[in-house]
Amino acid sequence: MTIATFSEWLSNTAPSQFIQVTNWIIPAVQTVHILCIALLLSAAVVVDLRIFGAGLRSETLAQVADRFVPKIWACLPVLLVTGLILIIAEPGRTLGNPAFYLKMISLVVVIGVTQWLHNYARSARALSVVPALLAIVSVLLWATIIVSGRLIAYIESI
Amino acid sequence: MIHSFAEWLQSLPLAVLVSESWFPQVESAHVFALTLFLGLLITVDLRLVGWGSQHMRFTQLSDQLLPWTWLAFGCAAVTGGLLFMANATTYVDNVPFQAKMALLVLAGLNMGFFQFVTFRGVAAWDDRPATGAARWAGITSLVLWTAIVTFGRWIGFV
Repeated sequence: MTIATFSEWLSNTAPSQFIQVTNWIIPAVQTVHILCIALLLSAAVVVDLRIFGAGLRSETLAQVADRFVPKIWACLPVLLVTGLILIIAEPGRTLGNPAFYLKMISLVVVIGVTQWLHNYARSARALSVVPALLAIVSVLLWATIIVSGRLIAYIESI
Repeated sequence: MIHSFAEWLQSLPLAVLVSESWFPQVESAHVFALTLFLGLLITVDLRLVGWGSQHMRFTQLSDQLLPWTWLAFGCAAVTGGLLFMANATTYVDNVPFQAKMALLVLAGLNMGFFQFVTFRGVAAWDDRPATGAARWAGITSLVLWTAIVTFGRWIGFV
Protein backbone atom coordinates (compact mmCIF):
# COMPACT_ATOMS: atom_id res chain seq x y z
CA MET A 1 0.00 0.00 0.00
CA THR A 2 1.41 3.43 -0.91
CA ILE A 3 1.21 6.47 1.33
CA ALA A 4 -1.32 8.01 -1.05
CA THR A 5 -3.72 5.04 -0.93
CA PHE A 6 -3.31 4.78 2.85
CA SER A 7 -4.12 8.51 3.18
CA GLU A 8 -7.13 8.04 0.91
CA TRP A 9 -8.36 5.10 3.01
CA LEU A 10 -7.77 6.97 6.31
CA SER A 11 -9.61 10.07 5.12
CA ASN A 12 -12.67 7.90 4.39
CA THR A 13 -12.81 6.31 7.85
CA ALA A 14 -15.51 7.40 10.30
CA PRO A 15 -13.22 9.35 12.71
CA SER A 16 -11.65 11.31 9.85
CA GLN A 17 -15.04 12.06 8.31
CA PHE A 18 -16.39 13.18 11.69
CA ILE A 19 -13.52 15.66 12.20
CA GLN A 20 -13.85 16.93 8.62
CA VAL A 21 -17.53 17.84 9.06
CA THR A 22 -17.09 19.28 12.58
CA ASN A 23 -15.49 22.65 11.85
CA TRP A 24 -14.19 23.55 15.29
CA ILE A 25 -12.18 20.39 15.98
CA ILE A 26 -9.09 21.22 13.89
CA PRO A 27 -8.51 24.78 15.21
CA ALA A 28 -9.28 23.63 18.78
CA VAL A 29 -6.83 20.71 18.58
CA GLN A 30 -4.19 22.94 16.93
CA THR A 31 -4.62 25.42 19.82
CA VAL A 32 -4.00 22.69 22.42
CA HIS A 33 -1.01 21.53 20.32
CA ILE A 34 0.45 25.09 20.32
CA LEU A 35 -0.13 25.64 24.06
CA CYS A 36 1.68 22.36 24.74
CA ILE A 37 4.55 23.37 22.44
CA ALA A 38 4.83 26.57 24.50
CA LEU A 39 5.33 24.58 27.72
CA LEU A 40 7.80 22.21 26.05
CA LEU A 41 9.86 24.85 24.23
CA SER A 42 10.20 27.11 27.27
CA ALA A 43 11.33 24.15 29.40
CA ALA A 44 13.94 23.19 26.77
CA VAL A 45 15.18 26.78 26.40
CA VAL A 46 15.43 27.26 30.20
CA VAL A 47 17.71 24.18 30.38
CA ASP A 48 19.75 25.29 27.34
CA LEU A 49 20.17 28.81 28.75
CA ARG A 50 21.29 27.40 32.10
CA ILE A 51 23.97 25.32 30.34
CA PHE A 52 25.46 28.66 29.24
CA GLY A 53 25.06 30.13 32.73
CA ALA A 54 22.08 32.29 31.76
CA GLY A 55 18.48 32.34 32.96
CA LEU A 56 17.85 30.47 36.24
CA ARG A 57 21.34 31.03 37.67
CA SER A 58 20.18 30.85 41.30
CA GLU A 59 19.84 27.07 40.86
CA THR A 60 22.47 24.58 39.74
CA LEU A 61 22.32 23.18 36.21
CA ALA A 62 21.44 19.75 37.66
CA GLN A 63 18.50 21.26 39.61
CA VAL A 64 17.20 23.13 36.55
CA ALA A 65 17.52 20.06 34.31
CA ASP A 66 15.89 17.75 36.88
CA ARG A 67 12.99 20.17 37.17
CA PHE A 68 12.43 21.08 33.51
CA VAL A 69 13.46 18.04 31.41
CA PRO A 70 10.57 15.93 32.86
CA LYS A 71 8.22 18.74 31.71
CA ILE A 72 9.48 18.15 28.15
CA TRP A 73 8.72 14.42 28.44
CA ALA A 74 5.29 15.16 29.96
CA CYS A 75 4.31 17.39 27.01
CA LEU A 76 5.31 14.87 24.32
CA PRO A 77 2.37 12.41 24.76
CA VAL A 78 -0.14 15.29 24.55
CA LEU A 79 1.60 16.56 21.41
CA LEU A 80 1.60 13.07 19.88
CA VAL A 81 -2.12 12.58 20.56
CA THR A 82 -3.17 16.03 19.27
CA GLY A 83 -0.80 15.62 16.30
CA LEU A 84 -2.31 12.22 15.54
CA ILE A 85 -5.82 13.72 15.56
CA LEU A 86 -4.63 16.35 13.04
CA ILE A 87 -3.17 13.60 10.81
CA ILE A 88 -6.39 11.59 10.97
CA ALA A 89 -8.33 14.75 10.08
CA GLU A 90 -6.27 15.51 6.98
CA PRO A 91 -4.01 12.55 6.13
CA GLY A 92 -3.29 13.68 2.56
CA ARG A 93 -2.08 17.08 3.79
CA THR A 94 0.44 15.56 6.20
CA LEU A 95 1.57 12.04 5.31
CA GLY A 96 2.86 12.93 1.85
CA ASN A 97 4.48 16.13 3.08
CA PRO A 98 8.30 16.47 3.19
CA ALA A 99 7.96 19.08 5.97
CA PHE A 100 6.19 16.49 8.15
CA TYR A 101 9.07 14.01 7.77
CA LEU A 102 11.66 16.70 8.52
CA LYS A 103 9.65 17.44 11.68
CA MET A 104 9.54 13.78 12.74
CA ILE A 105 13.26 13.15 12.06
CA SER A 106 14.16 16.30 14.03
CA LEU A 107 11.92 15.11 16.87
CA VAL A 108 13.68 11.74 17.13
CA VAL A 109 17.10 13.42 17.12
CA VAL A 110 16.15 16.09 19.66
CA ILE A 111 14.82 13.45 22.08
CA GLY A 112 18.27 11.85 22.07
CA VAL A 113 20.03 15.22 22.40
CA THR A 114 17.77 16.20 25.33
CA GLN A 115 18.46 12.93 27.15
CA TRP A 116 22.22 13.41 26.58
CA LEU A 117 22.05 16.99 27.91
CA HIS A 118 20.11 15.83 30.97
CA ASN A 119 22.81 13.23 31.73
CA TYR A 120 25.48 15.89 31.21
CA ALA A 121 23.64 18.29 33.56
CA ARG A 122 23.57 15.64 36.29
CA SER A 123 27.27 14.80 35.84
CA ALA A 124 28.35 18.25 37.10
CA ARG A 125 31.13 18.34 34.51
CA ALA A 126 32.40 21.77 33.42
CA LEU A 127 31.03 23.22 30.20
CA SER A 128 33.00 22.07 27.17
CA VAL A 129 32.56 22.18 23.40
CA VAL A 130 30.27 19.16 23.03
CA PRO A 131 27.55 20.13 25.52
CA ALA A 132 27.72 23.75 24.36
CA LEU A 133 27.21 22.71 20.74
CA LEU A 134 24.44 20.25 21.64
CA ALA A 135 22.61 22.93 23.65
CA ILE A 136 22.60 25.14 20.55
CA VAL A 137 21.65 22.16 18.35
CA SER A 138 18.75 21.44 20.73
CA VAL A 139 17.29 24.93 20.27
CA LEU A 140 17.82 24.73 16.50
CA LEU A 141 16.10 21.33 16.35
CA TRP A 142 13.07 22.56 18.34
CA ALA A 143 12.94 25.57 16.00
CA THR A 144 13.09 23.21 12.99
CA ILE A 145 10.23 21.16 14.48
CA ILE A 146 8.06 24.26 14.99
CA VAL A 147 8.89 25.82 11.61
CA SER A 148 8.45 22.62 9.60
CA GLY A 149 5.21 21.98 11.50
CA ARG A 150 3.85 25.34 10.36
CA LEU A 151 5.19 24.82 6.83
CA ILE A 152 3.08 21.65 6.44
CA ALA A 153 0.27 24.10 5.71
CA TYR A 154 2.24 25.68 2.83
CA ILE A 155 4.29 22.88 1.24
CA GLU A 156 2.57 20.69 -1.33
CA SER A 157 2.26 17.02 -0.51
CA ILE A 158 3.99 14.76 -3.01
CA MET B 1 -10.55 55.58 8.88
CA ILE B 2 -9.21 52.22 10.05
CA HIS B 3 -9.80 50.81 6.56
CA SER B 4 -7.86 53.52 4.78
CA PHE B 5 -5.03 53.05 7.30
CA ALA B 6 -5.09 49.30 6.63
CA GLU B 7 -4.99 49.92 2.87
CA TRP B 8 -2.04 52.29 3.25
CA LEU B 9 -0.20 49.80 5.51
CA GLN B 10 -0.79 46.94 3.10
CA SER B 11 0.51 48.97 0.15
CA LEU B 12 3.91 49.55 1.76
CA PRO B 13 6.81 47.74 0.02
CA LEU B 14 7.60 45.77 3.18
CA ALA B 15 4.00 44.56 3.42
CA VAL B 16 4.00 43.53 -0.24
CA LEU B 17 7.29 41.69 0.24
CA VAL B 18 5.92 39.69 3.21
CA SER B 19 2.64 39.01 1.47
CA GLU B 20 4.20 37.79 -1.79
CA SER B 21 7.38 36.05 -0.61
CA TRP B 22 7.84 35.61 3.13
CA PHE B 23 4.48 34.96 4.77
CA PRO B 24 5.06 31.26 5.74
CA GLN B 25 8.55 32.01 7.10
CA VAL B 26 7.41 35.04 9.12
CA GLU B 27 4.44 33.06 10.43
CA SER B 28 6.77 30.21 11.50
CA ALA B 29 9.02 32.70 13.31
CA HIS B 30 5.91 34.16 14.97
CA VAL B 31 4.89 30.70 16.25
CA PHE B 32 8.42 30.03 17.59
CA ALA B 33 8.61 33.41 19.37
CA LEU B 34 5.09 33.28 20.78
CA THR B 35 5.40 29.73 22.12
CA LEU B 36 8.69 30.61 23.84
CA PHE B 37 7.15 33.80 25.27
CA LEU B 38 4.03 32.03 26.43
CA GLY B 39 5.81 29.10 28.06
CA LEU B 40 8.13 31.40 30.03
CA LEU B 41 5.23 33.64 31.06
CA ILE B 42 3.19 30.63 32.18
CA THR B 43 6.11 29.52 34.38
CA VAL B 44 6.08 32.91 36.15
CA ASP B 45 2.25 33.05 36.31
CA LEU B 46 2.09 29.56 37.82
CA ARG B 47 4.56 30.63 40.52
CA LEU B 48 2.07 33.39 41.43
CA VAL B 49 -0.85 30.97 41.43
CA GLY B 50 1.08 28.61 43.72
CA TRP B 51 2.04 25.87 41.26
CA GLY B 52 5.75 25.15 40.71
CA SER B 53 8.96 27.05 41.59
CA GLN B 54 7.72 27.46 45.17
CA HIS B 55 11.24 26.94 46.54
CA MET B 56 12.31 30.20 44.84
CA ARG B 57 11.34 33.70 45.78
CA PHE B 58 8.96 35.19 43.21
CA THR B 59 11.36 38.05 42.47
CA GLN B 60 14.23 35.58 42.02
CA LEU B 61 12.26 33.68 39.36
CA SER B 62 10.87 36.76 37.63
CA ASP B 63 14.22 38.62 37.60
CA GLN B 64 15.90 35.65 35.91
CA LEU B 65 13.16 34.71 33.42
CA LEU B 66 11.34 37.93 32.52
CA PRO B 67 14.16 39.48 30.41
CA TRP B 68 14.02 36.39 28.14
CA THR B 69 10.22 36.49 28.24
CA TRP B 70 10.19 40.09 26.99
CA LEU B 71 12.81 39.33 24.33
CA ALA B 72 10.56 36.57 22.96
CA PHE B 73 7.52 38.86 23.22
CA GLY B 74 9.35 41.52 21.20
CA CYS B 75 10.09 39.00 18.44
CA ALA B 76 6.46 37.82 18.48
CA ALA B 77 5.20 41.43 18.30
CA VAL B 78 7.50 42.34 15.37
CA THR B 79 6.67 39.20 13.37
CA GLY B 80 2.98 39.61 14.25
CA GLY B 81 3.11 43.20 13.01
CA LEU B 82 4.64 42.04 9.71
CA LEU B 83 1.92 39.42 9.30
CA PHE B 84 -0.73 42.05 10.00
CA MET B 85 0.74 44.45 7.44
CA ALA B 86 0.71 41.77 4.76
CA ASN B 87 -3.10 41.34 4.93
CA ALA B 88 -4.18 44.37 6.97
CA THR B 89 -7.45 45.02 5.11
CA THR B 90 -8.59 41.42 5.74
CA TYR B 91 -7.51 41.31 9.40
CA VAL B 92 -9.25 44.51 10.51
CA ASP B 93 -12.59 42.88 9.62
CA ASN B 94 -11.63 39.44 11.00
CA VAL B 95 -13.59 38.87 14.25
CA PRO B 96 -11.09 36.48 15.93
CA PHE B 97 -8.33 39.02 15.12
CA GLN B 98 -10.38 41.83 16.71
CA ALA B 99 -10.99 39.66 19.77
CA LYS B 100 -7.26 38.82 19.98
CA MET B 101 -6.30 42.53 19.90
CA ALA B 102 -8.90 43.43 22.55
CA LEU B 103 -7.61 40.63 24.81
CA LEU B 104 -4.00 41.76 24.24
CA VAL B 105 -5.00 45.20 25.57
CA LEU B 106 -6.61 43.55 28.63
CA ALA B 107 -3.49 41.40 29.19
CA GLY B 108 -1.38 44.58 29.02
CA LEU B 109 -3.63 46.34 31.55
CA ASN B 110 -3.45 43.29 33.83
CA MET B 111 0.37 43.34 33.65
CA GLY B 112 0.49 47.10 34.17
CA PHE B 113 -1.72 46.94 37.24
CA PHE B 114 0.33 44.06 38.64
CA GLN B 115 3.65 45.80 37.96
CA PHE B 116 2.77 49.27 39.25
CA VAL B 117 0.24 48.53 42.01
CA THR B 118 0.19 44.91 43.24
CA PHE B 119 3.97 44.40 42.97
CA ARG B 120 4.59 47.14 45.57
CA GLY B 121 3.43 44.67 48.21
CA VAL B 122 5.72 41.87 46.93
CA ALA B 123 7.56 41.59 50.27
CA ALA B 124 4.44 40.02 51.80
CA TRP B 125 4.30 37.08 49.34
CA ASP B 126 7.74 36.92 47.73
CA ASP B 127 8.75 33.73 49.59
CA ARG B 128 5.36 31.96 49.59
CA PRO B 129 2.43 31.32 47.23
CA ALA B 130 0.82 34.65 46.39
CA THR B 131 -2.63 35.50 47.72
CA GLY B 132 -5.28 38.07 46.86
CA ALA B 133 -4.56 40.50 44.03
CA ALA B 134 -1.21 38.96 43.08
CA ARG B 135 -2.72 35.49 42.78
CA TRP B 136 -5.59 36.87 40.71
CA ALA B 137 -3.13 38.65 38.42
CA GLY B 138 -1.57 35.26 37.66
CA ILE B 139 -4.92 33.55 37.08
CA THR B 140 -6.13 36.44 34.87
CA SER B 141 -2.92 36.32 32.84
CA LEU B 142 -3.20 32.56 32.27
CA VAL B 143 -6.84 32.84 31.16
CA LEU B 144 -6.21 35.85 28.88
CA TRP B 145 -3.14 34.40 27.15
CA THR B 146 -4.84 31.05 26.57
CA ALA B 147 -7.72 32.93 24.94
CA ILE B 148 -5.27 35.05 22.90
CA VAL B 149 -3.62 31.92 21.45
CA THR B 150 -7.05 30.40 20.76
CA PHE B 151 -8.31 33.45 18.87
CA GLY B 152 -4.94 33.77 17.13
CA ARG B 153 -5.22 30.26 15.73
CA TRP B 154 -8.85 30.95 14.79
CA ILE B 155 -7.89 33.91 12.58
CA GLY B 156 -6.94 31.55 9.76
CA PHE B 157 -10.17 29.57 9.92
CA VAL B 158 -12.79 32.23 9.19
